[in-house]
Amino acid sequence: MGLVDRGRMPAPLTKLFNMGRSYSMWVYQWGLACCAIEMGAAFGSPRYDVMRLGVIPLPASPRQADLVVVSGTVTDKMAPAVKRLYEQMPEPKYVISMGSCANCGGPYWDSYSVTKGVDQIIPVDVYVPGCPPRPEALLEGIVLLQQRIKNEDMAAKWRNEEFTTLQKTAALEKAKSQPAPEPIVVGGGPIE
Amino acid sequence: MPSKPKVPGLIKGLGVTMSTMFRTLKDGANTVQYPHEKETPPTRARGVIALHEDNCTACMLCSRSCPDWCIYIEGHKQLAPPRRAGGKPRQVNHLDRFDIDYALCMYCGICVDVCPFDALFWSPEYEYSEPRIADLLHDKTKLGEWMETVPEAPELEVGAQKK
Repeated sequence: MGLVDRGRMPAPLTKLFNMGRSYSMWVYQWGLACCAIEMGAAFGSPRYDVMRLGVIPLPASPRQADLVVVSGTVTDKMAPAVKRLYEQMPEPKYVISMGSCANCGGPYWDSYSVTKGVDQIIPVDVYVPGCPPRPEALLEGIVLLQQRIKNEDMAAKWRNEEFTTLQKTAALEKAKSQPAPEPIVVGGGPIE
Repeated sequence: MPSKPKVPGLIKGLGVTMSTMFRTLKDGANTVQYPHEKETPPTRARGVIALHEDNCTACMLCSRSCPDWCIYIEGHKQLAPPRRAGGKPRQVNHLDRFDIDYALCMYCGICVDVCPFDALFWSPEYEYSEPRIADLLHDKTKLGEWMETVPEAPELEVGAQKK
């Protein structure tokens, strides 16, 4: 109805929607290389189960996913596919870059065929360091993303601005609504 | 030739399912409930590299041997006061900047192995994901903070020489 993008949602409802969105993320696993094994351990094994956090690793296509975890080296050959699949995801979408190769090229920073970091192609929300990161490190990245989503200002996201929290937007609005303070005139009186 | 009866196989399979279910109900599931309970990684786990700044002499060996060139070191020479009264001031290397870029690091440990002064240590900490990639560049102070998480060195063997 356009309430979210015009910023007209009442605060408790925004919090509820944010909480709902953060606890029901469908993650599209973009496993490219060794990090995919650790991602598989985090998503599929019973020990580091990710479904308990509300993240379901089973969307049938990117059009049904809200989160994509890029894990592994992004080669130049694969880069157009990454971009295309990212564009096929519906808003609001989030990206987690897992491992050194996806963060910035990693050990293959000098290679002719590696994209130095997936953030050259798509905007990334959380970077999980490691080579490969432990499955719990990926879970910590997901928990961090969930905390950011819970505080996120969705109206700003729909306007394509940078990530802002609800608290910051409220503070900005408050500052705008107060009149500008009177400038202090030193020396007394207007300039002749 | 008549095929083997399938029903006892089905019952045996169901028996396995039931016994696993009862075992899980009795002993609890295998899941480590991540944000609330965390399993401790082994002490030798390579989570993050910590810097003991007092030992570092800015010799640049770690930076040069890093395959990813993820260590940035800047140092300058300065005169330190003489060790004994009446001595000459001696020239020492002072470390200005020691950054490790954990976005690039591949956790190979060559820097830790090659350091001649034992200034770098492995620590099993792994929870340092960041929303901005620039925050993954840990500077000298942050690397010094990781020193608190470095586990104790293992016991020396019996008969080992202690200095």
